[in-house]
Amino acid sequence: MVHALEKIHRLIKPGGCLIDIHPSGEPPSLEVQAGTRVTLAGWLHESDDYVEYGYADEALARVVESGLFRVERQGTFEFVMRADSLADLRAFLAEGWEDASIDDRAAASIEELMGGPEQDKEVLLREVVRIVRLRPVPVRQSGAAQASAGDQGRESETFEDDS
Amino acid sequence: MQVRRLSHNQNMPVRLDSEDSETKALLDFVGSFAGKRVLEIGCGDGRLTWRYAKHAARVVAIDPDEDEIRVALEDRPHDVRVEFRAVGIEDFDAPDSVFDTAILSWTL
Repeated sequence: MVHALEKIHRLIKPGGCLIDIHPSGEPPSLEVQAGTRVTLAGWLHESDDYVEYGYADEALARVVESGLFRVERQGTFEFVMRADSLADLRAFLAEGWEDASIDDRAAASIEELMGGPEQDKEVLLREVVRIVRLRPVPVRQSGAAQASAGDQGRESETFEDDS
Repeated sequence: MQVRRLSHNQNMPVRLDSEDSETKALLDFVGSFAGKRVLEIGCGDGRLTWRYAKHAARVVAIDPDEDEIRVALEDRPHDVRVEFRAVGIEDFDAPDSVFDTAILSWTL
C-alpha cells in the first residue's frame, strides 16, 4: 500500500489532491425502518475487510509521517444499504461481502421488526465511511515537510447530509 | 486491491446509498471536477465513477478485476467518457504529474 501511495504521489500534479474513501472500521449497524421510524436490530460481524482497512489507515499514516502527503481535510459520512428483506440482505452479502455475517440474535430481531403491521419496511445496513483529502508534498520539500506538515492545519468533520 | 464489491447492478437485491451521501461528500471534498484530470483507483464496475465523471475533463478508472471492468464498459452511459483499464495501480503506466485528482475508492 505504501508503494501504491508513492506511485500515486508521482502521478498527481503539484497542487493536486488524493481523496481516500473507505469504511471507518466501526461495526455497521443493522436496522429496520418502518415509515420514518428506525430501530436498531444489531451489528454486522466482519472478520477480514476491516482488518485490511486498518492496514490501509496505517499505510496512509506512514506516508503522512514521512512527509509524502499532508492531510488537509477529513470527515465521515453514512453509507446506507437498503433491502426489502433479511433474505435479500443476506443474498447481497453472500455475493460480494463474504466475510460479513449476521448473527442469530440480530437476525431474529430483524425478522420480528419486519413482521410488524407497518407498510414500507426496509432492512438497513448503515456503515460509517471515512473520507480524507491529502495533498502531495513535493519530494524536494518532503524532508522539511516531515517535521512541519504532519497533521497541522487539517480539518476534521462529520460530513452532514443536508438532503 | 478492493476487498469488497459494491455493485451498481440494478438487479442487485440491495439499494446502495439512496441518499447519495458518498457523491455529496466526494464533491464537497474535491470542490469542483471542472477541467480536471481524474484517476480513480479501485473503480470496480464504475458505481461511483458515473456519479462524478460527467463533471471532469478526463477520467481514467482502473481496477485489476477484469470482470468488473467488463461490466463497467457494458454499462457505460453514452454521454460520459471514461477510460477504463483492467490494471492495478502497481502496473498502471502513465507519465508523472498528469492527474489533478486521484481517488482511492474503497481500496487497499
